[in-house]
Amino acid sequence: MTDSLILGLSSGSACLATCGMVMFPYLMAGSAGVRRIAIDLSLFLLTRFVVYFFLATIAWYFGQALFSNPVVRNIVPGILYIVFAIMLVRYSISKNSNRDCPVKIVKTVNNHKLLPILLGLVNSLGFCPALFLILTKGAAEKTLVHSYIAFLAFFIGSSIWFIPLPLAGKIRKKEVLTTIGILATGLAGVIFMIKGLTNLIGGLING
Amino acid sequence: MVNDLKIAGTRKSLGKSLLYTLPMFLITFLFITGGRPNFSDPSSAIAVLTAFLLVNVLYFLMHFTGKTDRYRAVLFIIFALSLSYTLIHNMLEVRNSMSFSQADILECKIPFCHLVIPMMILPAVFTKSIIFPGSILNGFANISTMIVLWLVATLVLGRGFCSWGCFYGGWDDGFSRFGKKPLIKRIDGLWKWMPFAVLMMVMLTAALSMMPTYCSWICPFKAVTEFEQVTSVESATKAGIFLSLFGGLVIALPIMTKKRTQCSFLCPLGAINTLSNKITPFMIKIDKNACNECFKCVETCPLYALTRDDIKEGKVSMFCSKCGKCVDACSKNAIHYGIKGVPAGTLKNFSRNLFLFVSFLFMAIFSAGSIIASFQGLLKLIF
Amino acid sequence: MKKIKIIAGISWAFFGLILIIILFPGLNSYSVSVSKLPFMKLNPRYSGGEIAKRIVTDRCTLDIRKPVFNGFIKERNNGFVQLDWRGNISELINDSIDYDQDGIKDFNISVDRKNSKTVLNPINSKVKDVIISTRTSYGWAVRVGIKKQL
Repeated sequence: MTDSLILGLSSGSACLATCGMVMFPYLMAGSAGVRRIAIDLSLFLLTRFVVYFFLATIAWYFGQALFSNPVVRNIVPGILYIVFAIMLVRYSISKNSNRDCPVKIVKTVNNHKLLPILLGLVNSLGFCPALFLILTKGAAEKTLVHSYIAFLAFFIGSSIWFIPLPLAGKIRKKEVLTTIGILATGLAGVIFMIKGLTNLIGGLING
Repeated sequence: MVNDLKIAGTRKSLGKSLLYTLPMFLITFLFITGGRPNFSDPSSAIAVLTAFLLVNVLYFLMHFTGKTDRYRAVLFIIFALSLSYTLIHNMLEVRNSMSFSQADILECKIPFCHLVIPMMILPAVFTKSIIFPGSILNGFANISTMIVLWLVATLVLGRGFCSWGCFYGGWDDGFSRFGKKPLIKRIDGLWKWMPFAVLMMVMLTAALSMMPTYCSWICPFKAVTEFEQVTSVESATKAGIFLSLFGGLVIALPIMTKKRTQCSFLCPLGAINTLSNKITPFMIKIDKNACNECFKCVETCPLYALTRDDIKEGKVSMFCSKCGKCVDACSKNAIHYGIKGVPAGTLKNFSRNLFLFVSFLFMAIFSAGSIIASFQGLLKLIF
Repeated sequence: MKKIKIIAGISWAFFGLILIIILFPGLNSYSVSVSKLPFMKLNPRYSGGEIAKRIVTDRCTLDIRKPVFNGFIKERNNGFVQLDWRGNISELINDSIDYDQDGIKDFNISVDRKNSKTVLNPINSKVKDVIISTRTSYGWAVRVGIKKQL
């Protein structure tokens, strides 16, 4: 649970840094009322929650089918952790990561009522390395409940960053926070890389 | 010609330098010898005398030559080496090993260092307890004493603690002085925010796992102090991380960049000290009227605290550790020690004298114990 | 205003000077004061927890500490109970422990100090495994992993 929360917290900051500013430009402008901001944000987070619930279920069933052998259960997630962690570190180092924001796809949608739901869908399904990591973790968990807990922790960690979004327009030194957030994501990648290595070596030794 | 101008600004005559050294001489005599030098044990007496002379000669030279960083670095590096020597020597004597055992953890006998402080904060607030297997008040490097030392030093010196008080900083400071020219000249400025990311991560992971994660998993200085016994894949991974980070960030990168890369890109306490720079009375100031924008200070700054834009704007960033390297490099005496509220270009000598006294006194007394112990150890080895 | 700033800055600097000068002579007393702050106590995960029961025999003393489940926000399900044997301990320790003080033994533990071998026989299903078993300066200590709830 701890590592899922940390992954959510760190990648959430980067996600907010890269996607948040695209997602709610009207919130940044400060023209929307508090009620509308709250409703849109709730719809956005609710959509993410529902998507993660489904992903946790799918990931765990896939994991059961694929990782039935106890050695494979350590080795395959170990390798996947390392691969996705490298992707996450690379993503954090790349200065052009802003260009990859999947939410930009729906930027042109004009229906404001549907927009938060659509944004929530695209944001939670925007296959970033952090999501790959949590999918791997969900698949490697012993029970479905553990998989739900992992995704819930990831959801909470990543959602915390979106809550002050309506105030984003007023935050000074946004670039600094963005930089720290992206660097923290890279560190989360390193943590999972080490976890992957430990899993892999442990799996090989036990095998 | 320009160097003459600079030297004339800060260096003092022999008599004046001796006069300025006198208060340091008296105070360090009191603290180092306890006011009553004991000559019954010759090796102890020689070690005390050598340490006492060392600090006072270095302080005298700071005034006499007008150079700060050169002499600060000597004591700073000796401090780092002697502390590691003392710790390792002590552990080898007591435990026959550099690693601590499960019993040491269980009995809460692990020496506390200031790098643990960031990880203590959240658990202290939420659980009203300390998550470290050390002693609260008794014994060597206990938690209360280390907190007091760090807190006062940080309040007064800000990030100056990283160049005048931290007993690890001397390692990468030392290695950054190897070689004449840097092999890597440009590193993206965004990396200097890394300590804040590390700080965020270690504070979170420590709180959630109730474990000082930086010490358990990251700290490069475990390589020169003490670490967990290698008994499993996990402890072997940890040892690998400690050694790699020490080799990379404390030895290789400082040599290649001539910068203090561990302090610049990793240390989470450095991030807190950076923030405390906002309240400290002492700072580095830029006299824009005297500055000819040669940017030598930018090149020499070991902590990436100065940029060309900063110089043009006449400000020094909060990353500054007041090491004095830029001050020494400036041929126009444009970049200088200053005091909060006092305009740049004024009271230059007064500010420098006051800052040097405060910061050097802290380093001299803080380092004296381990320097004396290591001198004693060396004397025993030789004779 | 400028003059006030200068005076305030210089005063702050001199205050810093005084702080450093008085820091070292008074270090011990400041440390004692700091140690009395409400958060300055070791978390039970490190201290081992308070002693719940002390069993004194002719030769040695066994301290059974309170079970530790401390977490960051709330208690965790996985914790431990620490046992400390002090005094003149025999080479082979063999004790039955009631860690939750309900009058029913929860596990048997035997320690062969010579070979550093520890065997745990759980009676209560909440008892999991041996986390640490080590020689200490005062004798021997064992941490047994336990669950709060099954």
